[in-house]
Amino acid sequence: MAVTRETAATVRDIEQYKYGFVTDIESDMAPKGLNEDTIRFISAKKNEPDWMLESRLKAYRHWLTLADEEPTWAKLHYPKINYQDSYYYAAPKQAKLASLDEVDPKLLETYKKLGIPLLEQQMLAGVAVDAVFDSVSVATTYKKKLQEMGVIFSPISEAVHKHPDLVKKYLGSVVPYTDNFFATLNAAVFTDGSFVYIPKGLRCPMELSTYFRINEKNTGQFERTLIIADEGSYVSYLEGCTAPQRDENQLHAAVVELIALDDAEIKYSTVQNWFPGDADGKGGIYNFVTKRAACRGRNSKVMWTQVETGSAITWKYPSCILQGDNSSGEFYSVAITNNHQQADTGTKMIHLGKNTRSKIISKGISAGHADNTYRGLVRIGAKADGARNYTQCDSLLIGSTCGAHTVPYIETRNPTARTEHEATTSKISEDQLFYCMQRGMTQEEAVSLIVNGFCKEVLQTLPMEFAVEAQKLVGISLEGSVG
Amino acid sequence: MALLEIKNLHVSVGDREILKGINLSLNGGEVHAVMGPNGTGKSTLSNVIAGRAGYDVTQGEVLLDGKDVFAMAADERARAGIFLAFQYPVEIPGVSTSSFLKTAINAKRRAAGQKEIDAMEFLKLVKAKTKALGMADDMIKRPLNVGFSGGEKKRAEVLQMTLLEPRVAILDETDSGLDIDALKVVSDGVNALRREDRAFLVITHYQRLLDYIVPDHVHVLVNGRIAASGGKELALELEAEGYAKYQGAAA
Amino acid sequence: MKRAPGLMDHPFGADYAQRTLAPADKHLAGFREQARAVFEPHGLPGPKNESWRFTPLRSLAKVPFIPADAADDVDVSAVPPGVVSLPGSARIVLVNGVYRRDLSDAIEGVEIFGLQGADRNLLGHLATAASAPLAALNASFMTGALALRVNGAVPATLHLISIAAAGNQPVAFHPRLLISLAPGASLTLVETHCGLPGQATFANPVTEITLGEDAHLRRYVQVAEQDDSFHLATTAVALAANSRMEGFHLGLGGALVRQEVNVVMRGTAAALELHGAYALGGHDHHDFTTSVNHHVPGCTSSQVFKGVVDGESHGVYQGRIHVARDAQKTDARQQHKALFLGRGPQIDCKPELEIYADDVQCAHGAATGEIDADHMFFLAARGIDPATARMLLVEAFLADAVERISDETVRAAFGRDIQGWLSRRNLKAAA
Repeated sequence: MAVTRETAATVRDIEQYKYGFVTDIESDMAPKGLNEDTIRFISAKKNEPDWMLESRLKAYRHWLTLADEEPTWAKLHYPKINYQDSYYYAAPKQAKLASLDEVDPKLLETYKKLGIPLLEQQMLAGVAVDAVFDSVSVATTYKKKLQEMGVIFSPISEAVHKHPDLVKKYLGSVVPYTDNFFATLNAAVFTDGSFVYIPKGLRCPMELSTYFRINEKNTGQFERTLIIADEGSYVSYLEGCTAPQRDENQLHAAVVELIALDDAEIKYSTVQNWFPGDADGKGGIYNFVTKRAACRGRNSKVMWTQVETGSAITWKYPSCILQGDNSSGEFYSVAITNNHQQADTGTKMIHLGKNTRSKIISKGISAGHADNTYRGLVRIGAKADGARNYTQCDSLLIGSTCGAHTVPYIETRNPTARTEHEATTSKISEDQLFYCMQRGMTQEEAVSLIVNGFCKEVLQTLPMEFAVEAQKLVGISLEGSVG
Repeated sequence: MALLEIKNLHVSVGDREILKGINLSLNGGEVHAVMGPNGTGKSTLSNVIAGRAGYDVTQGEVLLDGKDVFAMAADERARAGIFLAFQYPVEIPGVSTSSFLKTAINAKRRAAGQKEIDAMEFLKLVKAKTKALGMADDMIKRPLNVGFSGGEKKRAEVLQMTLLEPRVAILDETDSGLDIDALKVVSDGVNALRREDRAFLVITHYQRLLDYIVPDHVHVLVNGRIAASGGKELALELEAEGYAKYQGAAA
Repeated sequence: MKRAPGLMDHPFGADYAQRTLAPADKHLAGFREQARAVFEPHGLPGPKNESWRFTPLRSLAKVPFIPADAADDVDVSAVPPGVVSLPGSARIVLVNGVYRRDLSDAIEGVEIFGLQGADRNLLGHLATAASAPLAALNASFMTGALALRVNGAVPATLHLISIAAAGNQPVAFHPRLLISLAPGASLTLVETHCGLPGQATFANPVTEITLGEDAHLRRYVQVAEQDDSFHLATTAVALAANSRMEGFHLGLGGALVRQEVNVVMRGTAAALELHGAYALGGHDHHDFTTSVNHHVPGCTSSQVFKGVVDGESHGVYQGRIHVARDAQKTDARQQHKALFLGRGPQIDCKPELEIYADDVQCAHGAATGEIDADHMFFLAARGIDPATARMLLVEAFLADAVERISDETVRAAFGRDIQGWLSRRNLKAAA
């Protein structure tokens, strides 16, 4: 006990964020600030059809009425954001590309450094990647191969042109533009993101992945992702994110919508490693994200896995609306906060259909001066006969200057439903640390091992390629928290 | 030079002095047993050598190959070759026994400038050793010590000892909570590890264990002091007569 | 005074204030004045108030209550026969919040005061107007207080009976109870809150409880209001070192009942047991809201709440455990389980942990479901008819909480109340 307490107080100021570099590249930017012209600028840059521009303007006008509605219920403290002090569009200058080989070598180098090679000969086997750099998608790998199978995997800006019917039908159908302050803002200014459509009956044999990178200073990233799994299909989608190390806070307000039709399954995994700010809490990304899945079809299934290690502020509740009978939603989360990071994250499971199932496994780890909150809603509608929910929330505190909080809401309207919720709070015991160190492990190795054990149930749901990375990240994120 | 040298060791916990001047010298190839009644400082001795926090060394020193053990952190001591078989092995939920073992082996290898163990080599090695200890194959897949029976826990300790090849192995009440069959298996495991360049410090309350792990030297620890030393016959004498005679003398 | 936008209309405005007896006591007048300044701008809490999201007060706000002291047509001359009689207990009777010496007993070891004799510092020191809107409402219109001071061990059980009774108009009352146990003192207190048939009543009691070191309080509260009546009670407790409190709250109906208990640990090794059970039918609404604040190291708290819901009723449990930065070695637990007896009711549950110390044991659990079909089948196979079987199983379900009452007499009495509720329900179902 003594060890943890002493050492937690003297958190080492070490350089632990490996992705903090800046790419020196010339960018095309919108003028600073937000007004209708900014939105017209973005829309024009993307050469959008009128309906898209109109939908953006509608969202923007609604957003203007929400001035007092920026959410305050989360356990997060940050100075008021000046939305006029940010750039809403930044794109590396480059001509229209015919092939990946024409991508600016600086960008290729950037993604290579991040462990995401984009060139044909180096590409990750079995993983197709859409690389989003600030406001635009710069490259998508394996596009052709996917096309042959009928899979659409493209930047959403491209989908607006090539698949307007799908976009019109589904965009905003899960997260309407009126949903919440940040979702409304996103609907007005979103720049890029990925669009995925998996045709009927296809089990997509490749992992689809988007890698988000914020590079420019004072730039917000507002991506929009839309994934549609048609009847009987399956897709596993991965998302990774990093940003340079900067003293200023930067805003990231994404919206992700998933739609699973009859018998379809979507597995959505995130490893979020935005710059968390330095040891004194300076800088870092403000991450306000709305992620929601509609399990529209019978027997549809959505599984969210998130490993949240980055960002100064995380506000994120990947949710499932379980409409279809027998549909199921799962949420597996590891959220690690260290130094002055704050996370308020969890999920919403809305049971509407009969025999719907949900499972929530949340592991929160808090160290340094950080606050980590699980906030979750389980709602069982009156018609959700036979619905089942199981929730397990565990918090781990490292040191006594941090906080760990659990705020579940369980609302039941159906007598035949069964809900079960358990939560515990614990710490790494001195005995465990000593035991590991007696076997020759350094304190940091020991912490990493023990925390990885604590998170195992979640980490093992990640695809192999990501699981190893995530395990390392867990260790790295907590470096300096003990010892 | 002795392998492990304990010189005039005084240890306090808070205001209370637990060890009041211990002298012990362990040479390679030797097995030393430390016996004594409960609450006499046996576990303190093993914990202090291994580097557990919460003890104040007020006087004296412990040398491993002539090097000051107290200048090293607990993990450095372990990598230098001190191994403690815990009386109460700690549960680590979610961490499989195999990944724990691999991490420990690699920590030692890295410190020695060797490259990490190959996955296949590791599996082969562990399989052979678990078999020898009569452990179920799937045990290494289970989270470390979680839900293990008393016997399984102690076997897992010996397995770790076997894999980490220590210079000095300290067995803290390894016999506690073991039935006679498990005791035999564990003892056989330990005996198999006896070598010319390795020493054992066996801490126990009962003589029973020493029927299986036969010591070269026996020391009686009473009230923080070594009250008597002798050969293995001393253990039998203690078994027959108890500690009363020493408790009076040492008080 | 400036009103917040979207404020709910309610009857507790200027007219109401005018009709309330003005206190002769200057201190109290000032206290009320301050509280009104807090209450008025915000009024009754609406659904956006996090603490009231599951318990809407719209129905309460619509009733044209008058202050009970302004109703001159209320006549209560005896304790209603339905009120449980506890052998060996001494009674204190309140009618519409006013102490009735003529109906009450004297109790050895308990000093009873009005506000005049009470320690003024106790008034509002735990339940501050700023902390909760309903405490502010109480403070705005309280006409007096009843203070109980205990210096030693009280052998008899103290049975406080609070009767709500309206005349031709619905009445509201805002009683304040101050209980202080000196170091080492002990008391067993049973509270029965009931109403007489007639116009709607609204009880808005606030109870402030202070336990000295090593003091021991057992407090058992039962609320069984009339179907159309309102009861929103706030209890605030401070525990000194080594003190122990055992609280049990039983809720058997009422249009809108909330039993809110806020406890703060002020000395180490204080121990809190806070349990409750509710059984609801018709359009009953019952809300248990607890907040347990571990401000110092080494204290324990344990909560077990269980409820059954039938008809169109609505059960709520909100429990918050707060462990402050220095409160190491805290052991805090809470559990809520609810059972549905039919299609129509709803259950809302929000167990909350807010932890700022690492060396603690904190846990909560929550579950909802219906009666296990396997259990029903087993009992049927033993020849027990479904109605009886359900009754047995419901009783067993609630017993998990009720059995935590350490006073045998009270445990039996509350058990009988639950049985009574169940037989009435079965009769209704049969009819």
